[in-house]
Amino acid sequence: MSEFAGAGAEIGSFYPMSRPDTTPPVEEHLPPREWLKKNLFSNVANSILTVLSSLLILVMLRGLLGFIFNPLRQWNATAVNLRLLMTHAYPADQYIRVWFSVAAFLILTGLSLAVWRAGSRIPVPDVGKRVIALGVFVTLATLLAPFSTSARLSWLAVAVFLLVSGVAVSRTSKDRSVSSLSLLVGACGLAALSLWVIPYGHHSFIIDRTPKILAEPGTVDLTTKLPWTLMLLIAVAAYGAGLFLRDRVPAKVARTSLVLAWMVTPILLLFLVLRDPDFDMGHVLSTDIPIFLVFAVLGSALLFWLTNPETGEVGRMVAVTVLFLAFGSFLTPMRMIIRILMLLLAMFALAGPTFSGDRETRHRYAAVWTGVAIFVSWLVTAINTPSTVPVPGQFFLGGFSMTLMVAFFTLLVSFPLGVMLALARTSSMPIFRLLATWFIEFVRGVPLITILIFFSVMVPLFLPDGMSLSEVAAVTIGYALFASAYLAENVRGGIQSVTRGQHEAAEAVGMTTSQKTVFIVLPQALRVAIPPLVGQVIGTFKETSLLVIIGLFDLLFVAKAIIPNQTEFMGSTRENLMVISLIYWVISYSMSKASQRLEQRVGLGEQ
Amino acid sequence: MTDVTDVTETGADSGGVARSDRDLSNAADMIICEDISKWYGDFQALEGVSATIKEQEVVVVLGPSGSGKSTWIRCINRLEEHQEGRIVVDGVELTNDLRNIEKVRSEVGMVFQQFNLFPHLKVRDNVSLAPIWVRKKPKAEAEEQAQALLELVGIPEQADKHPGQLSGGQQQRVAIARALAMEPKIMLFDEPTSALDPEMIKEVLDVMKNLALSGMTMMVVTHEMGFAKEVADRIIFMEEGQIVEVGTPEHFFTNPTEDRTKLFLSQILA
Repeated sequence: MSEFAGAGAEIGSFYPMSRPDTTPPVEEHLPPREWLKKNLFSNVANSILTVLSSLLILVMLRGLLGFIFNPLRQWNATAVNLRLLMTHAYPADQYIRVWFSVAAFLILTGLSLAVWRAGSRIPVPDVGKRVIALGVFVTLATLLAPFSTSARLSWLAVAVFLLVSGVAVSRTSKDRSVSSLSLLVGACGLAALSLWVIPYGHHSFIIDRTPKILAEPGTVDLTTKLPWTLMLLIAVAAYGAGLFLRDRVPAKVARTSLVLAWMVTPILLLFLVLRDPDFDMGHVLSTDIPIFLVFAVLGSALLFWLTNPETGEVGRMVAVTVLFLAFGSFLTPMRMIIRILMLLLAMFALAGPTFSGDRETRHRYAAVWTGVAIFVSWLVTAINTPSTVPVPGQFFLGGFSMTLMVAFFTLLVSFPLGVMLALARTSSMPIFRLLATWFIEFVRGVPLITILIFFSVMVPLFLPDGMSLSEVAAVTIGYALFASAYLAENVRGGIQSVTRGQHEAAEAVGMTTSQKTVFIVLPQALRVAIPPLVGQVIGTFKETSLLVIIGLFDLLFVAKAIIPNQTEFMGSTRENLMVISLIYWVISYSMSKASQRLEQRVGLGEQ
Repeated sequence: MTDVTDVTETGADSGGVARSDRDLSNAADMIICEDISKWYGDFQALEGVSATIKEQEVVVVLGPSGSGKSTWIRCINRLEEHQEGRIVVDGVELTNDLRNIEKVRSEVGMVFQQFNLFPHLKVRDNVSLAPIWVRKKPKAEAEEQAQALLELVGIPEQADKHPGQLSGGQQQRVAIARALAMEPKIMLFDEPTSALDPEMIKEVLDVMKNLALSGMTMMVVTHEMGFAKEVADRIIFMEEGQIVEVGTPEHFFTNPTEDRTKLFLSQILA
C-alpha cells in the first residue's frame, strides 16, 4: 500500500509559490496634537463630551484624594491590624507556619510562571512611556490633593523625577526589550528594600505601656521585613528553578504535576502545617495504616483485573457489587474511612472498562488509585486528629486566610460536582436528567444567603449523634452545592456547543459513551466554557464575603466589625473597606488576567 | 514514494473497464441490507432498500439530494437507526444490542462530509486515540501506526499540528487515516469531497482510489462522476428513498434503463 504516499506529493509541490517580497503597510503614527484632534476633538459634540468627562474625572479624583489624604483618616488601623486581617487569631508565636505556607504558594507561583512561560517582552521605550504617564498622573494628583506646601513640593519633585527618567528611557533604542516579569521583580525588590531603609515605623499595639503607642519611628520591624525579603528571594529562586526544570522535564509532565500540586498544597498546608495535627501514632499504626494497606493492595489488584480488556461483563458486575457494598456500609456502624474508600473504589471500578488498555495503562490506573487512597486516608486521619495549635474562638483561621480557604474548598468540591451535574443533565437517561434538573433548578431558586444560614444553623441539628461538623465546613459544603448548580449550567452550555458531528465521529470509531464523554466531549466543552467559568470562579471568591452574615471571621468581618470596634480605631470602617476592596481587586484582576492567557493558549490550535 | 502520475495512471488502467470486470461472485457478503425502511416523523426517508455488498467491492451510491443516500450509509454503522428490515455487517446483525453495534462500528470506518476531526487533539492523536482506547493498543504502537497511516495519505509532516491549521483536503485525508487506524474491513464515505474547494478534491479522491486498489470494501456516496466511472465496481442509483437502478459504471453511464436515471444523468452531465 506504500504507493498511497503519492497522493500528497503532488499537492506538496503545488504550494510553495514564490511571491514578490512585500512589506505590510506601515501603521500611521500621528503626532500628539493630531491624535488629540482626531480622537477627542473631532467635532463640537465630541469636544464638549471630552471637556465634560475630563472635568468629571478630575472632580472624582480630587474627592478620592481628599478622602485618602485627609488627616482624620486612620490608615494605621490597617497597618497595626495587618495580622488580624490576614489570619485573625492565629497565635503569633506559631507564625513561622504561616510564613511557611506563604513560601509554599510563592514557590508554586514561581514554578508555574516559568513552566507556563508567563510574562512578555516589553520594548524599553514603551516602559518609558508608561513612566511618563505615571509622572503626569502624580503631577495631577499632587495639584489636586489637599497637601501642605512642603509635601506638595516633595511630591512634585517625585513627579519631575518620573517625567525626566521616563523621557530619558523612552528615547532609547526600540530594539531593546525587557521582560515584564523582571520589571515586576524589580518593583517588588524596591518595595522590599524600602522596608529596610525608609522609616515607615513600627505599627503595633504595645500592651503594657500607657498611653498605647501605635507607631514608633524607625524602619519596619525585623519580624516583618526579614520574612518579606526572604519571600521575594524564595519566589525568584523558584522561578529560576522553574526555568532550569522547564528545559529538562517534558512540558506535559511538568504542567500536570504543577496543577496537582496547586490542588493538593492548600490541603496539606491547612491540615499538616497550619493545624499541626497531633497524630496518635499507636492508633495510626494499629488501625489507619492497615485499613489503607488492605484497600491499596486489594483495590489495586481488583482494578488491574478490571482494566483488562478481556475481563468483560463479569468486571461490570463486580464493580456494581462494590458500589452496593459501599452504599450498604453506610447502613451499618463502621469507620467513616472505610465507607469513603469503598465509595471511591466503586467509582474507580465502574470507570475501569473505560480506561482499560495494555499493561502499562493498567499499572498506571492502579497507581492513580493508590495515590488517591494514600491522600484520602491521610486526610481523613488528619481531620479526625486534634490540633496542637492553641487558638481562641471557633476556628483557627480567620481573615484573608479564611476567605482563601473557603473559596478554594468551594471550588475544589463544586468543580467535579458541577461537571457531573452537567453531564447528568445532558444525559440520555431520564432518571439522571430529572434528578440533575431538579437539583439545579432548586438550588438556583434559593438565595445564597438562605443556603449559608441553613447550613450553618440547621445542618448541625440533622447530624447523627457523635458526628460533628465545624460551622466553616458545613457552610463550605452548602456554598459548594450552590456554586456547583451554577457551574453545571455553564458547563452544560459548553457540552451543548459540541457539534453532532463530533459525537458521530467518536461513535463511528467505536468509542463507548463514557469514552466519548471523557476524550471528546468534555475537553471541548470545558474549553468553550472557560470565560463563564472564570467569571464564576471570581464571583465565588468575592462572594465568600457573605460569610460575614453568619458571623464567620472572614476578611470582610475583620475589616467591618472587628477593627472599627477597637478603642484606638473607632469608626475606621471606611479605611478598612478600602484596603480590603483593594485586596479583593488585586486577586480578582490577576485571575482575570490569567484566564485571558488561558483562553489564548487553548484557542491556539483551533481557530 | 512512487511518482504520483504513475499511481493515477495505474488507477485508470486497472480501474475503468478493468475494475468492473473483476469477478467478485465468489467473494463473501460484507454488507447485507434487506428491505430496510426508515421514517423521520411522517416522512419516509428509506423505502425498502435491499442490497448486498461483497468483500473488496467498491460501490458508489448516486442520486439527487434528499434521495436517502446518506441516511442509508449512516444506517450501516448505526448512526441512524432503521425501523424495518435487516442489516447484517460481516455476519453481525444490527439490533438494539449495544455489543453488536460496538462490534460493527469497530469494523466499519466512516468518513464524513464535514471531516469531523477532533479539534482539541493533534493530528497524530486524532488518528491514534481510538486504537489506544477502543482497540487497546499500546500507546507507542498506536502512534507508530498513526505516523505510518499519515504517510500513506501523504501528510506525515502535519502530525504535530492541530486540525484547524490544515487545509480542507488535508483534514479529510487525516479523517481517512483516522478511520483506517481502526483497521476496518469496510469503509463508508459520506460525500467526502462535497465540502472541499475544487483544487483539493483530487488529493482526497487519489487517496480513495489507492484505497480501492488495495482491496478495501468501500461504499461511497458522492457526486464525483469521474470517480464513480473510474473506480466503482457497481453503481447504485437512488431516488426518493428507493433504489432505482443498479449496474456497472459502463451500463450506468452509457446505457441506463430507467427513465429517472436518464433524467438524472442528463441534468448532471448537461
